[in-house]
Amino acid sequence: MFTDKFLRDRRGVELDVHERAILEKAVFEIRTIDARKTVVQAGDTLSVSMLLLEGFMCRYLDDREGMRQLVAVQVPGDFLDLHGYPLKILDHDVASLTAATIAVIPHKALDDINATMPELTRKLWFSTLLDAAMHRAWLFRLGRLDAVGRVAHFLSETNARLVPVGLSDGKRFALGLTQADISEICGITSVHTNRVLRQLREERLCIFRSSLVEILDVEGLARRGQFNPAYLYIETISDRSGVERLTS
Amino acid sequence: MIPPEDTSVHSLPGKASVAEGFVLLDGPNGVAVTMTAYAASETGKSLIEAARMIEEKTESDK
Repeated sequence: MFTDKFLRDRRGVELDVHERAILEKAVFEIRTIDARKTVVQAGDTLSVSMLLLEGFMCRYLDDREGMRQLVAVQVPGDFLDLHGYPLKILDHDVASLTAATIAVIPHKALDDINATMPELTRKLWFSTLLDAAMHRAWLFRLGRLDAVGRVAHFLSETNARLVPVGLSDGKRFALGLTQADISEICGITSVHTNRVLRQLREERLCIFRSSLVEILDVEGLARRGQFNPAYLYIETISDRSGVERLTS
Repeated sequence: MIPPEDTSVHSLPGKASVAEGFVLLDGPNGVAVTMTAYAASETGKSLIEAARMIEEKTESDK
């Protein structure tokens, strides 16, 4: 099943059996993508949307000097470009960070869902609103937090997102990102990221080593990054991630 | 919520440190900058000069 991670454990929008079958049927093709490949460029006209099945991918913008700013990271179960269905042309690029597998859904199939399945349409809309909620959190992170806080917020968020799709046990997860990627997510240099990761380790909050993240103190890391997972709308996060006191 | 005019004015200093031959400036608040020694030195001089101008004006207004 390709769509089993999509909206899993999200509050009030988990797909029922029929909806999941319809979405499965809408999948036109499964593609594998090498790491570090751009799959959509800003300005491309789109006729399909892509659901990430495996791996990590991102949306990014380059500045005039070609320096990259990651503006979103997608984890398995996320659509990469569902907003491309109504927009047709994206204002950013989409690329793989690790090797990845995606399910391709033609916009024509989404037209059919839109015409006949209002509740499933609402759930697809919800997933794009989740993207918007995460963008707001990323703006907060870059605008208000110091370097340690930004990295702490990103790692806490990623942990919380990976728990529902079974890719984190609530404290440990594989993160195939480099320190340079984290720098481009958090708007700091690699030198700064290196120092921050050492500081998080020394403060016994988190260890990031060989693409593995081990959070030693889930609540402490969340507190350091002012991370409140409410914007992720995850049903059972308080049961699995240990950050329940931050959500109350 | 703090009034908008107050949110980006910092009253506490940032903290500078050294890592891998660069100067890191952390804070105030969301500031997180990496600079060469030259850029840090010149920024420092410029900051001190700007602060001195305010202090002189404040003194003359008394």
